[in-house]
Amino acid sequence: MSGDRIRGAFIGLAVGDAAGWPAARHRAALHAPWSRRLHRELDAFAEEHRVTTLPVPFALNQPVAPLRTGPSDDAEWLAWTALTIDRPRAEAFRELQDVRARISVVTALDNLAEGVEPPASGHDNPHHFDDAAAVRAVAYGALGRDPTPDAQVTNAGDGVLGALAMAAAIAQAVATGEVGGAVEAALAVLPEDTAIGHNARLALKAARKAGDAFGAVPALDAALLDHVYSYGVGAAQTVPAALALAEAAGGELSGAVAAAACLAPLADSAPALTGALAGACGGYEAIPEGWTASARTLAGCCLPDLAGRDLIELLEGIA
Amino acid sequence: MTSLRDRARGCLLGLAAGDALGAPAENLTPEEIRRRWGRLTEIEGGGTDDTEYAVFAASMLVRHGHALSAADVADAYRTEIIPSVTGPMRGAGFSELGTIEALRRGLQPPLTGLVHAHGWSDGLAMRAAPYGVFCPGDPAEAARLVEQDGLVSGSGEGILGGRAVAAAVAAAMGGATPPDVVRAALSAVPADSWTARNVVRACDTLGWSPLTGAAEDEVVEALHRAVVVRHYPWTDLAPEAVALALAAFLAGDGEVEASVTFGVSLGRDADTIGAIAGAVAGASRGERGVPSRWAARIGPVTGKCLPVVAGRHVLDVADELAEGL
Repeated sequence: MSGDRIRGAFIGLAVGDAAGWPAARHRAALHAPWSRRLHRELDAFAEEHRVTTLPVPFALNQPVAPLRTGPSDDAEWLAWTALTIDRPRAEAFRELQDVRARISVVTALDNLAEGVEPPASGHDNPHHFDDAAAVRAVAYGALGRDPTPDAQVTNAGDGVLGALAMAAAIAQAVATGEVGGAVEAALAVLPEDTAIGHNARLALKAARKAGDAFGAVPALDAALLDHVYSYGVGAAQTVPAALALAEAAGGELSGAVAAAACLAPLADSAPALTGALAGACGGYEAIPEGWTASARTLAGCCLPDLAGRDLIELLEGIA
Repeated sequence: MTSLRDRARGCLLGLAAGDALGAPAENLTPEEIRRRWGRLTEIEGGGTDDTEYAVFAASMLVRHGHALSAADVADAYRTEIIPSVTGPMRGAGFSELGTIEALRRGLQPPLTGLVHAHGWSDGLAMRAAPYGVFCPGDPAEAARLVEQDGLVSGSGEGILGGRAVAAAVAAAMGGATPPDVVRAALSAVPADSWTARNVVRACDTLGWSPLTGAAEDEVVEALHRAVVVRHYPWTDLAPEAVALALAAFLAGDGEVEASVTFGVSLGRDADTIGAIAGAVAGASRGERGVPSRWAARIGPVTGKCLPVVAGRHVLDVADELAEGL
């Protein structure tokens, strides 16, 4: 049974990753650079001409497959984590070449290249607070391992706490299938006097008051987002949103992920983290078949070596 | 013998001059700065948020003295800053508006500085000088006091950046040599911090000695390699700005014009780097150390970033701070 829930965590993350609007932007990285330049020019055109007809990623003279619904950065980084989980972490990161990744990871790779070792590689880092490690921690939680050494390569503070919380929640969900216990396990590792600990409790309260996941979206926006900063991948926002929405949906993936995808600023990763948690609660078999079919094949938009890899096959022998 | 009042005036005048000189160079590359100006030595326009927030910090110190607490600072934000933020908050960085949003939600410090993503902003470092002026020769007390301010709007390395600058100014107010000023900054932050690692790396790049003219472009490049984060679009990182500013102070051997113009030539958050280098050098050399042609360009602040300080002149603020010393 727990094998099904481990697969549920991985595929649930990939489904959530595919459901958020930024997935198509990441997958468009597989297109020629000039096609994305045209996208940027169309954005400027819309601005200049005051037309509300906004451009979407498009394939002009390019293969259309990357723009079909499918997983992007988070699913690839999770797969890479599962494949390298037995390796010393700094060593595994150092071998990465020509990858696309969050600011925390790219800066950590620079730090490692300069001889700045973990935990300084994740600490001397402007995006130490982002959720790159929280995404990777889904693998650690599913396999019942400590995510800390991995998290400290790229993150610090709330970024590491987010990884601890995700690993704890996923481990509990894989063990019991109960979302309530999973949320409690996450809260137990999030001190109240940290931003992520404060926000997690605030988000759960807001979502409980709203009563259901979709109904909680505006309340979560009001409680978690100050709309001041330029990037929406802060662990102190995305992990609390995932905990609150998974719980509000009773651990059911469809309701939880759909709601998370509606939090536009967080849509790069909150749906993925939400999907991982709900997927671990309900298991692989409970995920809608159409979504599984669309989300299980990796595109290679961040880690080119993983292009075409099947997440379920990749888990054979691991889960 | 330079009096404390003279050093206080030099410090805040140096801060305002560095801020104004660096403003047009903010976010430009060193190459672009060289292309436009060669060496940028003449103030073109007014100062920015650095000067106005420093004036605001000084006013809190004059009111509360060494008893200043984070709660006092939060109260000052609520009563003197927030009421005038009815539309755009001009000249503010992420950390200031993030803090105001947190205060509007009813949060108290330190959560107000923790819940936004820009805890490491150099917003505290840019306004830390008055705390050093207030604690001449006592870097530890200057660092303790500036942290009260920082707990409202910053966290982690942002607070450490403020501590380092306040401590450096306190040491300069006490007449320390440039290398000892930098050591005082380091004494105020943990050795195991981004700020300490960057300050050491930057000063090691200079061999802890003044720049002697030759191959300046290469030194600029080496300093960038030592501390600049390459893959991040924002430049207001305290560990970076503080390290570059203290390196500039060291490079200029504590002399105001040399320190500030070299600091501004580094680009990145050039106005804040100029303001910090100017404040530390000004405290070292006193009012007469600030070029008179720069001093002539510094008038009362306009309040374009903080309406509550409109009309205040940094020299009057310095006199008020010095009165209690």
